[in-house]
Amino acid sequence: MEFTIISPRTRSELLDVIRKEKNFRFGAGCTDLLMELKKKPHANLTVINLSQIKDVQFSGFKKSAKGLRFGAMFTAHKILMNEEIRNNYTALHESAFNLASTQIRQVATVGGNLCTASPSGDIACALVALDATCELLSTSGKSRNVIISDFFTGVRKTALKKNEVLYGISVPSKSKDTKDVFSNFIKVGTRRSMECSVVSLAYHIQVNKFGEIIKAGIAIGASAPTVRFADSACKYLIGKKYKSISEKEKEEFAKKVLSYASPITDIRATAWYRKEVLFNISKSIFH
Amino acid sequence: MAKKLKVIGTPVPKQDANIRVTGKAVYGHDITLPNMLHGAILRTEHPSAIIQSIDLSEAKKLPGVVCIITADDVDVNNIGYKRDHPILKKGEANCTRDEIAAVAAETKEIAKQALELIKVKYKVRKGIYDANDALKDSAPQINKFISGKFENKNIAETFHYEHGNLEEAKKNSAHIVSRRFTLPRMTHACMATSNVTASFNKVDKKLLMYSSTQVPFLYQRDMAHALKMSPSDIRVIQPIIGGGFGSKLDIHPFEPICALLSMKTGRPVQILFSREEEFIASPIRQPMVIDLTAGVDKKGNFTFREINILKDNGAYTSWGATTPFVIMQSFSSLYKLKACKFNATAVYTNNVFAGSFRGYGNPQATFALERVIDLLADKIGMDKAEIRLLNANEKGEVTGQGLHFDTCGHKECLETVIKKSNYNKKVIAKQDARFKKGIGLASMLHVGGGAKIYRSDGCGTTLKIDPYGYCTIISGSNEIGQGSETVLAMMAAEELGIDLKKIKVINTDTDVKPWDVGVHASRTSFVAGNSLLGAIKILKEKLSKKASELMNSSHSEFDYENGQIVSVKSKDSIALDKVVREMHFSEPNELAIASFFYEPSSKFQDKNFKGNVSGSYAFASQAIEVEVDTYTGNVKVLDIYVAQDVGKVLNPLLLGGQIEGGLLQGVGYALTEELLMHEGKILNPNFHNYKMLTASDIPDIHFFPIETNDKEGPYGAKGVGEAPLIPTAAAIANAVCNALGVEFVELPLTPERVLKAISLSKINNNHHNLISL
Repeated sequence: MEFTIISPRTRSELLDVIRKEKNFRFGAGCTDLLMELKKKPHANLTVINLSQIKDVQFSGFKKSAKGLRFGAMFTAHKILMNEEIRNNYTALHESAFNLASTQIRQVATVGGNLCTASPSGDIACALVALDATCELLSTSGKSRNVIISDFFTGVRKTALKKNEVLYGISVPSKSKDTKDVFSNFIKVGTRRSMECSVVSLAYHIQVNKFGEIIKAGIAIGASAPTVRFADSACKYLIGKKYKSISEKEKEEFAKKVLSYASPITDIRATAWYRKEVLFNISKSIFH
Repeated sequence: MAKKLKVIGTPVPKQDANIRVTGKAVYGHDITLPNMLHGAILRTEHPSAIIQSIDLSEAKKLPGVVCIITADDVDVNNIGYKRDHPILKKGEANCTRDEIAAVAAETKEIAKQALELIKVKYKVRKGIYDANDALKDSAPQINKFISGKFENKNIAETFHYEHGNLEEAKKNSAHIVSRRFTLPRMTHACMATSNVTASFNKVDKKLLMYSSTQVPFLYQRDMAHALKMSPSDIRVIQPIIGGGFGSKLDIHPFEPICALLSMKTGRPVQILFSREEEFIASPIRQPMVIDLTAGVDKKGNFTFREINILKDNGAYTSWGATTPFVIMQSFSSLYKLKACKFNATAVYTNNVFAGSFRGYGNPQATFALERVIDLLADKIGMDKAEIRLLNANEKGEVTGQGLHFDTCGHKECLETVIKKSNYNKKVIAKQDARFKKGIGLASMLHVGGGAKIYRSDGCGTTLKIDPYGYCTIISGSNEIGQGSETVLAMMAAEELGIDLKKIKVINTDTDVKPWDVGVHASRTSFVAGNSLLGAIKILKEKLSKKASELMNSSHSEFDYENGQIVSVKSKDSIALDKVVREMHFSEPNELAIASFFYEPSSKFQDKNFKGNVSGSYAFASQAIEVEVDTYTGNVKVLDIYVAQDVGKVLNPLLLGGQIEGGLLQGVGYALTEELLMHEGKILNPNFHNYKMLTASDIPDIHFFPIETNDKEGPYGAKGVGEAPLIPTAAAIANAVCNALGVEFVELPLTPERVLKAISLSKINNNHHNLISL
């Protein structure tokens, strides 16, 4: 594994480097990148090390009336420690909690988890359920917003162009009529740490003062080429009372979630297992 | 009355803990010798192929490459327990690990690069990856080095054992259960990857090996045979070893290869495995299929067991092939048994070969046996705890195989875990719809006082005290992380009244230390401990005699405490170091030194495998509670209750470490760890997909040592190292079966296997399905 490493210090230095370099990869926490390069070395590769950039928008966190915004370099550890996220965006908190291990969470970033574009990305799954938006900064200095489910275009493929870098992520706040939020991330794997999801499901369900579901975000991981937003399953829930959903409705809901799954059989599990479990855990999200 | 112990039985921290946690410990990877080269090994691309040609020309041209060898360049003997394993392979490859060529270069990077430049032409063959296929007449002979001692060309080894009248025992059985069990490949995954540094001196023709072997004297002998040298011209030094667990009982091809590279170049050479290489090319726990038929009479007494085992030997034979020695002990002698017939066959295939692994076949045997005991209990409608208590081994029992249980904590172990775990209540507890709890029991029997499988199961010790009152223990037996150095130092501190800080243990150099057969069979504290106590006794006689002279007394009884030799009668005392100085420096000028060789009372078994093979026997029982998520198939181990007959607790801290470490290996064996193979290739050679458990998976462990004070053991102690993992998978499987009412005959109980079993049981609406996936 050999590569050249460049460590820009500012946003403008970063944009300069992106403009100049031809054959490069971004390195944020490098927790996935190093494993990938070890397995499949790239010739003449430059790694643009993002971790030295001093830019609060790139690595910091901000809360506003519209919701949350954090930089792409915000770490899994920082998500885990953030009270606002823990209290109001439990799915995101839990996704970080279930990610790898304490040591890896110190360096692993949100941006890295998204840009790796693995179908089993845990933070990615939570952010899809939360209806997040990705902010892509181009070398021209301009940025554009992409809805997160459009950000993932295939296995390890994103909407990022060659001259762009993922700069930040915004998550909308709850609707004004929302009284309660039921939010969680369910990770299924063999062990409790250092595990890559075999199946995952994130949900973020908002109910009004009558207990009726007014907004729902359901995302599934490790079940299709990308993390997927289960739109019809979300729509199915609208208007139903979260706490009195019948067994039949749970099954119907789970079937709708399952319709988004097209899992593969690989060394970690068969497609049969993934579907079976996805169906079961989909049913389990109602109390 | 026995003297009150001051050091033995106390929680003394591991003596090398500080250097390990501060990174100051020198492992094999840390060794650098002047002018040292770096070796790398080219392995076959195909598990079964004809090697048509090897072209080294491009690789040799690479600057920095010093030497490349293939089978054609060396004059060596085969290695392995059956001498059926060529160090470098010639003409054909039979296993994915096969070493085709080796490079020595100025840097690791160059060595690796050179491997990529070696061009090998293969003619790929259809390999044999199933032991049953290897036994077919049409199968080609896989290993060409065996003598053809057996009826089938692909049989590597067979074992037959029996006692009692099997047919009569069958007639007397009220119920008989037969099952086939399938056991997976598990790998040691030692924290330190395999490593060796060889330095051949071309002037005096002597070879120095820095090796992580567990058996330095056998290593010396085997290496000498392989390299056609005299054993004593090979000096083996063991650096700190980052994990053994049995994996370093055999010599492996990379070790003589490293020596050969050094012999060719006249420079030191080091070979370090990458983690991937470690997964691919280090030995594994034997995969096997066990057919077990067992009976019980109407009162619940076990009547007979009939066992047929087919072991996938892989392409070469290692010590792993001899695990039936241990396996048959559990089948013949765990719980009282009237009749037993045992057959085991190891068959060559093109799969990776197995080695020895903590437990040495016993986790496999115990899984099958303890599962069948649950089934027998169900058959006769008897409680699963009660049937075990009824049949438990007893003190004074001589088993059908001739094992003498002079002490036996089996029943007490069972009673302890049954009571402490609240087994009787939990086993019939009501179940939640999704999360189902279950509890399972299992026991185990293992050697606890060494195992006489070599001509000597002994250990030598040389003990000296210097004029400053410091003690050096030169022990034949070494440390692989199990804490034996600490235990030996504690014994010397106890007996000689010397502060632990003043005791050194020297045990890493074959040129210095006396004979010992090696670290295996849970033997070190027992055998090396007894050896040390023998040396201490001799030295104390010398010291006491001198002390008596110096005190001008006729007293011959002394206590050794706080660096003083104290007369029991008069309470007069004299400093130990002063006595040593007087011994050394005044006439008749005698050294404060003593040597002792301890050989356990155990016997070599006869050709029918009968005889008292160990100095003592360890017993343990575990009760394990699990919770199964029926939505995902995940098994969560909640609590492990373990009671183990340890003879005597020498150090509760280190004992606890052995128990916890062993249990976690056992939980991994039960639930997650499996080296997956397809047509001879390993599919998961990394920690990502080989699922070792992590700190967050550790259940609550409740450990209850049972002290039976075996007269053969040092202070009454028995071997403890392997026992904790042996019954774990069996108890977990019994617990999962208890939770779900579904049967399992295969390990590990992965979430997928469990979910499949649940889903099949729903389809068939039958609570006793036999599930094999």
